[in-house]
Amino acid sequence: MNLSIFRPTSRHLTPSTFRTPTLLRQNARPTISKPTTTTPAPRAPFSATTFLQKRKTKNLTDPRITAIRYHLTHPLTPRPLRFSRTRYLRHWTIHRAWLLFLRKQRWTQERALERQYMSMRAACEALRLLDDKGNTVSEAEAGGFGADAGSLGARGREVGRLYRSAMSKKKVWGSVPVEYARAQVDFPSREGWNHAWMR
Amino acid sequence: MASAQPSMRQFSACLRCVRPLSQSNGPLHASAARLLSTTAAPREEVQTQVTAAPAAPPPATASGKDFMKRWGKLNPELVESKRDERRLIRREGTQPVGSRRRRAALRRTEIRGTVSIPFEQLPYQCFQEARKFLLEDRKEKIKQIEVQSARLKNIITQDAAVSGGKQAKEVRIQSMKAHINELVILADINDPIVKKKFEDRLGDMNKPIYRYLANEKWRKYKRLVLEQRISQFSLVPDLLPAFDPIADVDLGFGRRDIAPGEFVDSCVSEQMPRLNVQTFEAGEKLVTVVVVDADVPDPKNDNFTFRCHFVASNIKISPTETSIPLIRIGQDDAKATDPTTKRIAVPWLSPWANKGAPYHRLAIFVLEQSEAKPLDISKVAQTQRNVFSLRGFVDRHHLKPIGASLFRTQWDESMPGVLKRAGLSDQINVEFKRTRIEPLPYKRRTERMR
Repeated sequence: MNLSIFRPTSRHLTPSTFRTPTLLRQNARPTISKPTTTTPAPRAPFSATTFLQKRKTKNLTDPRITAIRYHLTHPLTPRPLRFSRTRYLRHWTIHRAWLLFLRKQRWTQERALERQYMSMRAACEALRLLDDKGNTVSEAEAGGFGADAGSLGARGREVGRLYRSAMSKKKVWGSVPVEYARAQVDFPSREGWNHAWMR
Repeated sequence: MASAQPSMRQFSACLRCVRPLSQSNGPLHASAARLLSTTAAPREEVQTQVTAAPAAPPPATASGKDFMKRWGKLNPELVESKRDERRLIRREGTQPVGSRRRRAALRRTEIRGTVSIPFEQLPYQCFQEARKFLLEDRKEKIKQIEVQSARLKNIITQDAAVSGGKQAKEVRIQSMKAHINELVILADINDPIVKKKFEDRLGDMNKPIYRYLANEKWRKYKRLVLEQRISQFSLVPDLLPAFDPIADVDLGFGRRDIAPGEFVDSCVSEQMPRLNVQTFEAGEKLVTVVVVDADVPDPKNDNFTFRCHFVASNIKISPTETSIPLIRIGQDDAKATDPTTKRIAVPWLSPWANKGAPYHRLAIFVLEQSEAKPLDISKVAQTQRNVFSLRGFVDRHHLKPIGASLFRTQWDESMPGVLKRAGLSDQINVEFKRTRIEPLPYKRRTERMR
């Protein structure tokens, strides 16, 4: 917070009770420590006006010119990092540690996703083999999975009811079948359109 | 405090102008310690040198030795100013060590008397955090290595029937060993000290990490160049059916290093070359070195043949013993009384080319002997010099090519002398010329040809 703009133009200043950060205080003009008397000083040997008000004189260069100058004198590519030997080695160490950290993070994320996927898969498989009595049936008695999740096994509809309803994609996108959702690719598939497809 | 800064800066700027006049003690001035810290300082240094130079002129009356003594001690490790460097070279006759920048830095630390902190303990927070993280990872890797080697031990002792057949067991053991080797590399690859030591060429090649780093470096540039030369000069179909270099071979004659494919003067190549073979695999190897000329003209058949110039066998190399000084091996052989201990089977024949003939490719192959078994030198010595086939040689002695280099020879001014000394004086006056291709007989252009 630069308080200099709130200060009056005259030199009737008391030491500020605010504690401005040191960095900002550097920019502000040094304030005099003692409050002056009521009689105005004849003429100060130096200007005590605040910084911003002093700038009212119109010697400012156009900011556009400044920008043009900047871009003319500065190349597009930044200068390369030039380090001393040990500085470079320290830089390298930190860089390697960072890469290793990223790698470990990625690894843990992937493992977590894999674990979640596998547990979901196991749950679906348990549902598929579940009959209406809550017993687990054999593979032959259960229905199909994957692409033909809707097909029934030897025991018919009473096995894997929950699995089939979980696999049904109805009303995921409202009335539009979810099978229409496909990845947007550069070229259409070889077949173009599967006319034989039925839900 | 903050408001006092600009004025201080101005003051120091004034000092900079004044300093050259006040300074007469030479560069050993406390304020000159800023040499490496700012950009303005080097300019200061130049100024001080210019003004300080006439401060200690050699008195004309004193004898040479006396005024030289007045220069004081000059340490080649720490000499920093140009004047002192000149004096060091003049008085001691030794060159200063390293760059001036390095010497200056060393000198500053000595003047300040600061105890240099070891690199690992440098007090930078991010650096120390990074080190901590890397060390943790290293501990993990070492633990993994212990676990894996315990598993490997179990598998080796396991019955083959349990691990799914003999072949499956072998494959499993191989892959586990490869995994352990990888872990050993990964444990050390992030260590800045390892990197530093490798860059300073202080790495111990008995340790796998340094071998790995050296191999990577070789494959990044030198091996690519070698591969290019081998294919450009068609050594691979001409001399060997296939070749995958796994050892770095440096070739040189005397003090001169030869890049693969370079032309070498015949007087230079009259002496045996010096080889440096760096292997990147652990353990000792016995190698055979063969030098073949791949372009021996055969005017009778209008063709080219091969000639064997040199064969030496049973030379021991390891990652730390890389040098093959053939000249010294030759001297040892000359002294040896027992013919079985000799290592040079076919002595060096200096490479030569006839006048007018195209250049000769001389390939140097380093061949690994199978299972590091020594070869019988008397059998190797039966190798024929002329019409030599490297393929046959490799097959006969069960060798495996691991490294190669090559140079080229052509007719030059020193060739007659070389031929004379090699006992081939009859070849001096042989000159090859291109056969004139007779033009087809003149035929009048007829209507039909048009």
